[in-house]
Amino acid sequence: MTLPVEHILEMQGISKAFPGVQALDKTDLFVRKGSIHGLVGENGAGKSTIIKVLAGIYTRDEGTVSINGAACDALAPAVVHEAGVRFIHQELHLVPYFTVAESVFMGQEQHGVLGLAGRRMRRRAEQFLKESLNCELDGKALIRTLSPAEKKLVQIARALIDDKARLVIFDEPTAPLASGETEQVFKAIRRLKERGISMIYVSHYLGEITDLCDEVTVFRNGATVAQLNRVDANSTQTIIHNMVGRDIDALYPEKKHSDGARMFSVSALGDNSRFFNVDLNISAGEVLGVAGLIGSGREEFIDTLYGLRRAEAGDMQFDGRELKLKSPADAVANGIVLVPRDRRNDGLVLNMSVGDNINLASLDEVAWARMEKRGLSLKRANELSEQIDIRPRNPKAITRFLSGGNQQKVVLARWLATQSKLFILDEPTVGVDIGAKVEIYQLIKELAANGAAVIVSSSDPQEMLGLCHRIMVMYRGEVVEDTPIDAIDFDSLLALSTSGARVASTA
Amino acid sequence: MSNTTSNTGFEGFGAKAIFVRYGFLIIIAAFVAFFSFYTDSFLNGSNLLNIVEGSAILLILALGMTLIVTMGGIDLSVGIAMDFGAAFAIVAMKEYQVAWYFAVLIGIAGGGLVGLLNAFLVVKLKVSPFMATLGTFFIGSSVQRIFTNGGGPISYRRVAQEYRDLAVGDIAGIPTEVVIAFVVLVIYFLLLERSVFGKRMHAIGLQQSAALVSGIKVRHYLFFGFVFASATCAIGGIIGSANLRMFTPLAGYSYLLDAIAAVFIGASIHPQGRPNVPGTLIGVLFLGIVANGLNLLGLNFNTKDALSGIILVGALALAVMQKRLR
Repeated sequence: MTLPVEHILEMQGISKAFPGVQALDKTDLFVRKGSIHGLVGENGAGKSTIIKVLAGIYTRDEGTVSINGAACDALAPAVVHEAGVRFIHQELHLVPYFTVAESVFMGQEQHGVLGLAGRRMRRRAEQFLKESLNCELDGKALIRTLSPAEKKLVQIARALIDDKARLVIFDEPTAPLASGETEQVFKAIRRLKERGISMIYVSHYLGEITDLCDEVTVFRNGATVAQLNRVDANSTQTIIHNMVGRDIDALYPEKKHSDGARMFSVSALGDNSRFFNVDLNISAGEVLGVAGLIGSGREEFIDTLYGLRRAEAGDMQFDGRELKLKSPADAVANGIVLVPRDRRNDGLVLNMSVGDNINLASLDEVAWARMEKRGLSLKRANELSEQIDIRPRNPKAITRFLSGGNQQKVVLARWLATQSKLFILDEPTVGVDIGAKVEIYQLIKELAANGAAVIVSSSDPQEMLGLCHRIMVMYRGEVVEDTPIDAIDFDSLLALSTSGARVASTA
Repeated sequence: MSNTTSNTGFEGFGAKAIFVRYGFLIIIAAFVAFFSFYTDSFLNGSNLLNIVEGSAILLILALGMTLIVTMGGIDLSVGIAMDFGAAFAIVAMKEYQVAWYFAVLIGIAGGGLVGLLNAFLVVKLKVSPFMATLGTFFIGSSVQRIFTNGGGPISYRRVAQEYRDLAVGDIAGIPTEVVIAFVVLVIYFLLLERSVFGKRMHAIGLQQSAALVSGIKVRHYLFFGFVFASATCAIGGIIGSANLRMFTPLAGYSYLLDAIAAVFIGASIHPQGRPNVPGTLIGVLFLGIVANGLNLLGLNFNTKDALSGIILVGALALAVMQKRLR
């Protein structure tokens, strides 16, 4: 006897405790058939715990789970897989030197009479990517030659190629992507929905949630605090309110007027390949935004300001002196510091402790005769963790295990310890939850208020408008606009970034 | 959710770390007990001294290797650096009648030359450390053969007694080579586990790009590291040449794999799997004990290597298992 099933997944009253932590406390999650279900909450709210319970990685303490109307008492990876549930993890787990087809069929290779059926797999992979994910890719292309978005789609194809998927869970699928690339992944997800597949979409980006999802569940402190059955543009405020448990009326801190002395200027800077003839001026106390899409030369320009790339033309002035940067060490010695966009590779030594990462750039200050004074370095790491609220408050914790927001704070703490003067922040809030975001914005404001100059490079127009005193926009390697914030709005910033002109010229 | 509070970054001496190391020491103790029971001479004083003395040169080379592995590389030319140390010192004394202490400095500089070539290849030409030091190994081997007309030893019987004493003398009853190895050990411990330099080296080895962005002069450090490690290995070669009063070409080769093994034994018993100075010491002693014990058991020469291999892998498997159990 089967009743008409409305929910593909019902998880009811799920509890899960770890030593000292009640990770889930009678949490509910209902996913309607054929819908895209957003799952949001701050770090530590229990999102990944409930996903791991569903995956059979953690055993629940109590609660019932039914998939597609059938109660599942014991969840194990094999059982869940058999029921048609697929997980798209945040990490890609792809081999760079495999082809697209090899990657899609890895672990489920098809055999012909004479060994592996290479051509058949390639055609099938290409066909699946095109029809189910809206993406034309050559099955012979190597993974390492693909864009991040394409890699993500290959990962998705690999999970779904057997055509038995009924519920797909996406964990932060756009985290490694630039804003221009997310649309490709969204298209694929919408196509999957047309094909009747239900989805759970976990993300920090509320814009994505309201764009993509049909319904939303909000977690806070291991409990379900809201279930929205309809999502529209006004939902964002409701979601934030439920996530943080209070209204964040000001995501961005109030701007202080800046009137400091000229600190840093760049004239006619270029590298003869990715950006040309760039001028930049910034004063103490100022927050300057550098906008531009991927490929606009913005990233290369920022790297050059920090000595990671060599300038081929133009010059830099810092505090009235000419500045020549041969390496980041030169920049740091001059009081210029960078919070890099790729936090996990360039920002942090992930396998070192939080304290070591915080002290890494200023070890000499906690050393005597070149020997580290470990009591002192721990104490200072503790103070900085306290000051900007890094959790857990344990300088000995290994950095790898911190959430994105807390990792970013560790990078910031490292530079706070150096008393630097010019802070270059490249994509400072990527992969950071909303609570930490607000704190980072506050910190940026305080830096400027205390006389530092801050350059924020970001692909999030909203963030740029909310934070900066002035914005310069790069387009195809050149600066197309340099304007005070009151003379630019969201639409013109977007138009400038995408077309190089205030009014989009595209029809 | 993993419990991250007990993970202690660099401090390899928290309660957990000691327990983990202690675990491997238990395995070593078991071998000591075994060898003592099955051989008559293992546990007597002169044999134990033999083990320690016989491990001195290997320890010095393994420490150089620890530095290189810490900064994310590998050095296949430690033996060459050792040979160069011996050759430069012996030739300086024999052909140029240089005082013994100058000869020691010249030997160290000779080893440093090997490191200079490695550093140049890795830092300037960006060859991977494995390939660069392999190249140095081939070149250095050939240079030695050419210089000695095919590999004959260069002996110098009338070497100064002080030089000879580097290997056969003693200081307050402790063999000089053991004292030298101990001093090198302490220097390396302070350098890699306690100093600012060491922390930066670890950062470079764990994540070079992050070290660069945090303002560390990565290239300077790599350059210095290669030269310093090779110069250290030369000390091992000098002791070897003092013992035999000759330079034996290609003698360093036999130490290469043992040095690598010792470093990786040390790394595998570290809570975070990092190369570390105390671990390297344990690795060297373990290899020394097993080699000596198997010798005393009087096993067939051909089966000894197989047994060492089995013991090595088995002991590491136990150590790793125990680390997981905590």
